[in-house]
Amino acid sequence: MPQLPLEVFSPRWCSSSGAAGGADSAGGAAAAGAAAGDPGIVVLEQERVMALSPAARAEGVLPGMRRGGVLMLMPEARIVNRSHEREAEALQSVAMAMLQYTPQVALAEEATLLLDIGASLRLFGGIRRLCAQVRANLRTLGFTGCVACAPTARGAWLLARRNAGRAVKMDSLVRRLNRLPVSLLPPARPFAAWFDGLGCRRLDELQRLPRPGLQRRCGRALLDMLDAAYGHSPELWRWIEPPERFQARLELFDRLEHADLLLAGAHYLVLQMTGWLCARQLAVERILLQLEHERGRVACPPTALEVALAEPTWRDEHLMRLLRERLGKLELVAPVIGIRLEAQQLQAMAPPTDSLFPDPGGSEEDRMRMIELLVARLGADNVLQALPHADYRPEVANAWVPVHERVSASARAAQMPPDVHSLPRPSWLLAKPLALLMRNHRPFYGSPLRVASNPERIEAGWWSQTQTRDYFIAEGKDHALYWIYRERINGSGDDAAPRWFLHGLFG
Amino acid sequence: MNHSSILAAPEALHPSLWRASQLAHADTRCIDTGHATLSGQLPGGGWPGGTLVDLLLQQPGIGEMRLLRPALAACASRRIVLLQPPHPPQALALAALGLDPAQLLWLRSTRSADALWAAEQVLRSGSCGALLFWANHVRSDSLRRLHLAAQGGDTLFFMLRPLAAAQDASPAPLRLALRPAAGGMTVDFIKRRGPQRDAPLFLPLGSSLLQRHAPLDRPVFAPATARSLQPALVQ
Repeated sequence: MPQLPLEVFSPRWCSSSGAAGGADSAGGAAAAGAAAGDPGIVVLEQERVMALSPAARAEGVLPGMRRGGVLMLMPEARIVNRSHEREAEALQSVAMAMLQYTPQVALAEEATLLLDIGASLRLFGGIRRLCAQVRANLRTLGFTGCVACAPTARGAWLLARRNAGRAVKMDSLVRRLNRLPVSLLPPARPFAAWFDGLGCRRLDELQRLPRPGLQRRCGRALLDMLDAAYGHSPELWRWIEPPERFQARLELFDRLEHADLLLAGAHYLVLQMTGWLCARQLAVERILLQLEHERGRVACPPTALEVALAEPTWRDEHLMRLLRERLGKLELVAPVIGIRLEAQQLQAMAPPTDSLFPDPGGSEEDRMRMIELLVARLGADNVLQALPHADYRPEVANAWVPVHERVSASARAAQMPPDVHSLPRPSWLLAKPLALLMRNHRPFYGSPLRVASNPERIEAGWWSQTQTRDYFIAEGKDHALYWIYRERINGSGDDAAPRWFLHGLFG
Repeated sequence: MNHSSILAAPEALHPSLWRASQLAHADTRCIDTGHATLSGQLPGGGWPGGTLVDLLLQQPGIGEMRLLRPALAACASRRIVLLQPPHPPQALALAALGLDPAQLLWLRSTRSADALWAAEQVLRSGSCGALLFWANHVRSDSLRRLHLAAQGGDTLFFMLRPLAAAQDASPAPLRLALRPAAGGMTVDFIKRRGPQRDAPLFLPLGSSLLQRHAPLDRPVFAPATARSLQPALVQ
């Protein structure tokens, strides 16, 4: 992965780039990338430029320059030293995300990942769509990848190193491999001058050389690699093992104050988690996203963002929609320098049961997903379900609780009055009863109200808030119906006049 | 079909053609309003699903839920979403109207942008039977957006807005103005796919609400005597 050193410092989603690889059938892929960083990032290895962003290239910086030369051409360049640990970490994260396509993912030489997708083709809708998905995922992760497919892992590796496309059949793979340069094989590189002198530049010419002599001069590794690529010998790869628990951390290249960039960072972590979930056959119920703030003098504890799901999921789309709403509402107390994602509550994955005819209103999961999305933006207190209480007092009876509280149907039915149809209750109950003016000894609300029903006496609540009221249905001049009541306990003296209140509207 | 018959009945050419004197055919599934006189005046004979329906109310609480009761009860197998109603809804009253409290969802929002977003999410998910959205000021581009979102599904979508909004343009193909009347309500047809109707339509509503206790036309409650009797009655 020639440009991996660069993109670990500036992932593509902050308008820079990198490299990664994916591969096929029995594996194989590699990657290359070009960076487009605003500041002009230059990566040095042993004091020589080994990777650079297009901005730096445009200023005239070339690979192999020394630090002084770079600073002379581009004083504002951000010069960093190559970090092998960060590259290995990045490759590991990509591998983790790729686990969602196949459980068999291996790390190969030169920043390449090999995926055995032989068994995944039908599930993901064919080789083209699978490659497109892998590419899209790499983009989301912030890397540019060259994806190649071949019937052999080493063949795919070679094709991906040259970005030479897909070969699905063995004979087309042989044709493509024959055209590749000899120097692509790592064991052949020390002998490059010798091969050049022989006039042996392509792999087909290399194959025509006598094998015993080649083995004596160049070692066993070259022949093994060649045989593996052409499918003459079996290959062995060490597939990566997903860890027992999922916890991923992303150190940000910069201090972030914008939620949308944070979202891209969170997507990087969520993609890894989906890969891990698929590999472990688990679904997540609750995730914890921690935003780490700057340490030191102005240290403050990380902001925790917990997302609980009603329906366990292992795909990233729904999680990302929820996180987008949550992050959009979040007010950052300080710039963020790191993101940590943890899968807290897990369940075994339950694959969807497809019915022959889908329900017209979507499945129950769709409904739950919609509600979760609403809760994420509006807040749990603003998405309510009805849970009537068996109480005579109208305010107490009309209880609404947050929708994620689980209420069994029988508990709800037990609270309902047996003769709900005979209760004259208004559709809209005022949050607070409205004291009515009195005109001509009659309650007045816009117009004089005329009582249109017999009273309904409600007297309850001595244990907490006593209510002694006579409720009437009243009709205004405009024939709208109101639910009004009269307090039965009046004061004495000046307060002795009856007090009327408006409590509901008949919708 | 020959030339003369086309001239005689051009509306038979295509379902989306109608004469100015006729009601349009429905291009979506319609849900019966439950009020025969009203259904007869609506294109398709009911509330159109998957369409923005504008109801303009003189004030909240004039019988709008009783008007919508039969249609809401018909789609109560799925959730009914009440988006920022003017007052807290009372589950018992809605249960008495035939709506299962388990299927009610009450959404509150503090900002109108959130409410519009929530309405769009509900419409796009298509998993709810009906959406009732109370809004005071909505820009017409937001209305158009909601109308488009509604067309993606068959959710029954009502926007309940103040009567003053009747002046503004709206993409809704059906707009009704509701006013309370003695023993029911009157419906003005502001916009419909059909002939202009100026005379308001009277719908009897809510008789069951009052008859159980005391008939409205009992002599004691006659308007002439009510004024003099009332203080004595209440004291």
